[in-house]
Amino acid sequence: MGRVISQVTAIASMNIRSIPQRLWMSLSTVVAIALVVAVLLAFLAMGNGFRQAQSSAGAEDIAIMLRDGAQTEINSAVTREQADLIEEAPGIARENGRPLVSAELYVIVDGTSRANGLRANLPLRGLALGGVALRHDVRIAEGRLFQTGTNEIVVGRSVTREFAGFDLGKTMRLGQSVWTVVGVFEDGGTVRESELWGDVGVVQSVFKRANFFQTIRARLQSPRSLPALKAYVDADPRLKFAVQSETEYFSEQAKQSSNLIQKLGWPLAIIMAIGALAGALNTMYSSVASRGTEIATLRAIGFGRIPTFAGTLAEALTLAVIGGGVGIIAATLLFQGYSASTLSANFTQVVFTFKVTPALCVSALVLALIVGLIGGIFPAFRAARQPIVGMLGDQ
Amino acid sequence: MSDPFSFQLRQVSKRFVKGKETITIFDGLDLDIPAGDFVAIMGPSGSGKTTLLNLLGGIDHVTSGEILFDDRRVDTLTENQLSAWRAANVGFIFQFYNLMPVLTAAQNVELPLLLTNLGRKERRTNVATALELVGLSDRAAHYPREMSGGQQQRVAIARAIVSDPQVLLCDEPTGDLDRSTADEVLGILKLLNQEHGKTVVVVTHDPEVTRHTRRTLHLNKGVFEEKTALA
Amino acid sequence: MNQALLVAKNLSRRKLRTSLMLVAIFIAFFLYGALECFNRAFHSSENSGAAERLVTVNRINFTMPLPVNYAGRVRQVEGVTSVSYQSWFGGYYQDQRQPLFMFAVDPVSYLEVYSGIQLPAEQRRAWLTNRSAVAVGKTTAAKYGWKVGDRVPIASNIYLRKDGAKAWEFDIAAIFSDPDDTAREGLIMMSHDYFDETVTFGRDQVNMLVFSTVSPKRNDEIAKAVDALFANSEAETSTDTAAAFNRAFVAQLGNIALIITLVVATAFAAILMIVGNTMVMAVRERTREIGVLKTLGFRGSTILSQILAESLLLALLGAVLGLGAATLAVAAAGKFIQGFGSNMNMTAGVFLGGVGWALLLGLVTGAVPAWSGMRLQIATALGRR
Ligand SMILES: Nc1ncnc2c1ncn2[C@@H]1O[C@H](COP(=O)(O)OP(=O)(O)OP(=O)(O)O)[C@@H](O)[C@H]1O
Ligand SMILES: [Mg+2]
Repeated sequence: MGRVISQVTAIASMNIRSIPQRLWMSLSTVVAIALVVAVLLAFLAMGNGFRQAQSSAGAEDIAIMLRDGAQTEINSAVTREQADLIEEAPGIARENGRPLVSAELYVIVDGTSRANGLRANLPLRGLALGGVALRHDVRIAEGRLFQTGTNEIVVGRSVTREFAGFDLGKTMRLGQSVWTVVGVFEDGGTVRESELWGDVGVVQSVFKRANFFQTIRARLQSPRSLPALKAYVDADPRLKFAVQSETEYFSEQAKQSSNLIQKLGWPLAIIMAIGALAGALNTMYSSVASRGTEIATLRAIGFGRIPTFAGTLAEALTLAVIGGGVGIIAATLLFQGYSASTLSANFTQVVFTFKVTPALCVSALVLALIVGLIGGIFPAFRAARQPIVGMLGDQ
Repeated sequence: MSDPFSFQLRQVSKRFVKGKETITIFDGLDLDIPAGDFVAIMGPSGSGKTTLLNLLGGIDHVTSGEILFDDRRVDTLTENQLSAWRAANVGFIFQFYNLMPVLTAAQNVELPLLLTNLGRKERRTNVATALELVGLSDRAAHYPREMSGGQQQRVAIARAIVSDPQVLLCDEPTGDLDRSTADEVLGILKLLNQEHGKTVVVVTHDPEVTRHTRRTLHLNKGVFEEKTALA
Repeated sequence: MNQALLVAKNLSRRKLRTSLMLVAIFIAFFLYGALECFNRAFHSSENSGAAERLVTVNRINFTMPLPVNYAGRVRQVEGVTSVSYQSWFGGYYQDQRQPLFMFAVDPVSYLEVYSGIQLPAEQRRAWLTNRSAVAVGKTTAAKYGWKVGDRVPIASNIYLRKDGAKAWEFDIAAIFSDPDDTAREGLIMMSHDYFDETVTFGRDQVNMLVFSTVSPKRNDEIAKAVDALFANSEAETSTDTAAAFNRAFVAQLGNIALIITLVVATAFAAILMIVGNTMVMAVRERTREIGVLKTLGFRGSTILSQILAESLLLALLGAVLGLGAATLAVAAAGKFIQGFGSNMNMTAGVFLGGVGWALLLGLVTGAVPAWSGMRLQIATALGRR
């Protein structure tokens, strides 16, 4: 056994050291594999970033209530009367005796994309200061919060990055009035950062939605209080609501709006991998052909078939690992943190950044190794089965 | 001299420059090969036999001096003119046959005819004639790998003569063959010389070859020592 | 025999190697064909007559409503020929997560404005007379297997029915096609009157006015006149060509064109490396044979064109197979895709574009070996053993 291993290492290291002799052929395989890996990672990082922007926005202890069947905030509708009823519901946390409930209005306004100068849908959320406080992780990074009863808004960091005209101190027309940006908030790059926030009363009056809301959020005493709230809502015929935790809501959103392009990563990568595989097979077959005499000589002096087989396979896997590594590095350098936006299920822009993670790199590397394995195994068989006679010396 | 010359070499020099070193193969070589000659060129390895053949066939260039074919300079021709000249006047035969492995015997023989204006029918007739001359009519559809060395060399001869060139240049045509096969091949060359009037130049290490040729040139250190055939 | 045979023989001498290269080329052109068709379909709403129509939406955002009476006022604007309007219905069939591209429209004017829509006369009559009927685009009809005369339950995730029923029961009165704008064939149209009659809220409001004008040349001026009409009113408007509106909307989904370009470029870069290097290797193996051909009198330029013909043939063969497979795949995939891109089809433009790229690929991958083949010195070629 030890003998076989030392034979394998001997042949493998000889093969690997001879790669530079077939530099261009080997390089083309490395590049092809690297490109496949980079494309796969780019798509996975895009999907991952998009999913994270939405799913990491939710909190377990915040309940969100939408009109039954609405699924998204924009399709939902809630009346003042319903909002008042929720304030009496069990399971809701209170501060100084007042329930932590936020009835919010969600309208879509136009922004201008910095990337292409075209109009894009941005969500303007009307909420009370208490609603802002519900969201634990949000912090004002620049300026200050809006004041109740004024035409002031705060905007998410992602909005200022992707859309023109929302920087601190800027004014703009939204609806029938002019608004001033008094603050920029951050929330770890989640979907919230793609929103504009203003006072709910002012938004209601400017957009003529007096006493009208779209959603109700409520801080729960604990995540376990959710069933009690649900039971309360189900029991009251005036409350035709779907009650979910924010976490549930956002992960459902992420699922719904991950569009075709994001699902394309694996199929595309696999198709491209077949092309790269053709290249790898080609390279490895020509490697075996060019080492014909060498292989025959080694076999003649007593090396076995297994080391010959393993040596060739090792060469292919080496090329695959190099290609995979190059692809991962290239994709990370090019795409990590790249900012993009797309339309969410809410029909508004979600800004997200590409996120390359170690787990994604591992799956990309696995794809590279599979290409290397298949690309090496058939040529390795040929190497191992090659007859000794007729390959020695002549030619 | 009443006979026209196939080749006349006047003060031909050939040097190879390799890095700082310059190897002189010929320095002021003169040589006449009359039309219809059958000449063997012998000499030690490295004496310049292949180089001489290459110069005659226009696949290598002289460093200085002149080469005349049919009283016309060929050393001054451009690559493309040389190609056309070779296609019309010279047939090459090599030690290792150099047939196209992907083509059948007939297709190999037909190859030079692609450079002519001959129609498909005429080409087929010419190929058949050439193959018949080397006695391989029954092997027309065979690929080189399906034939013996002697047969392959005969296909190579057929290919060399199919476009009816005046000159055959052969570099160790029997070097890879056994005695009797070699004799067969030499017999064909002799036939081509005597019956068809081809000028044949054979480079060889094999003294037996000289029994067939009209004369033998011994090349040594770039200079000829002429001996006529014993017969 | 002729030179073409020689080229073919050279290609087929190492069948495995040639097949592997063909596979690589096939893959790249398959991707090109499929993605490019998707891209075209995706952006098709930006062309095809949309440059001539105008669209008016609420200035705040196109999801905000406009009063339905705006249609009548726009009709009065000088140069406007016919005006229609539509509202997004938020409809779905059975699966709440698969939205239908469904609008409430005014059927008579809709067919006037979208004059490219084709439907049999009796179906047209049926749709115009039966208020609870819908007209369905042929791709959507095919997707759900709907036929004229079927009755289908469709619910909305925005609007509620006055009578409290969960879904609307629609008769399928017509199945239409629109060869000029195949994206339209994915839509479903219900009557706006029926919509107004049955919903609990949202009555007499529309998302968008669509209208045609006497001449596209006057569109700018007419758009300005329309917006001026509603300036400082309850709902201010923004009017633009349908093409510009669609372009902005499609851009909101993401820069699909860029993504597709990058993927296709990547695939091409990979095969350029693979095929280019293999061609160099294949020709290097034949060095001696090329030397022999030259001794026989073949010119350098002949050798050059033989090698180029070889790489071109390889590229074209792989490309045509790949584009052919893409044609089939695209036709099949269109049935599974919802909405944008569902109208994809192989077009002559994409196919010929692919053939063009194949020619370029063949030339580029053949260039280096062809050049060295042409320049090859016979003496060197024959000497190397
Ligand atoms: N391209 C070249 N560059 C440098 N030197 C060369 C080149 N070609 C030939 N030579 C040298 O020229 C000399 C003559 O070579 P050539 O091949 O003509 O010999 P030859 O007589 O045919 O020998 P052999 O009998 O072994 O075939 C040799 O010393 C060889 O090394
Ligand atoms: Mg020699």
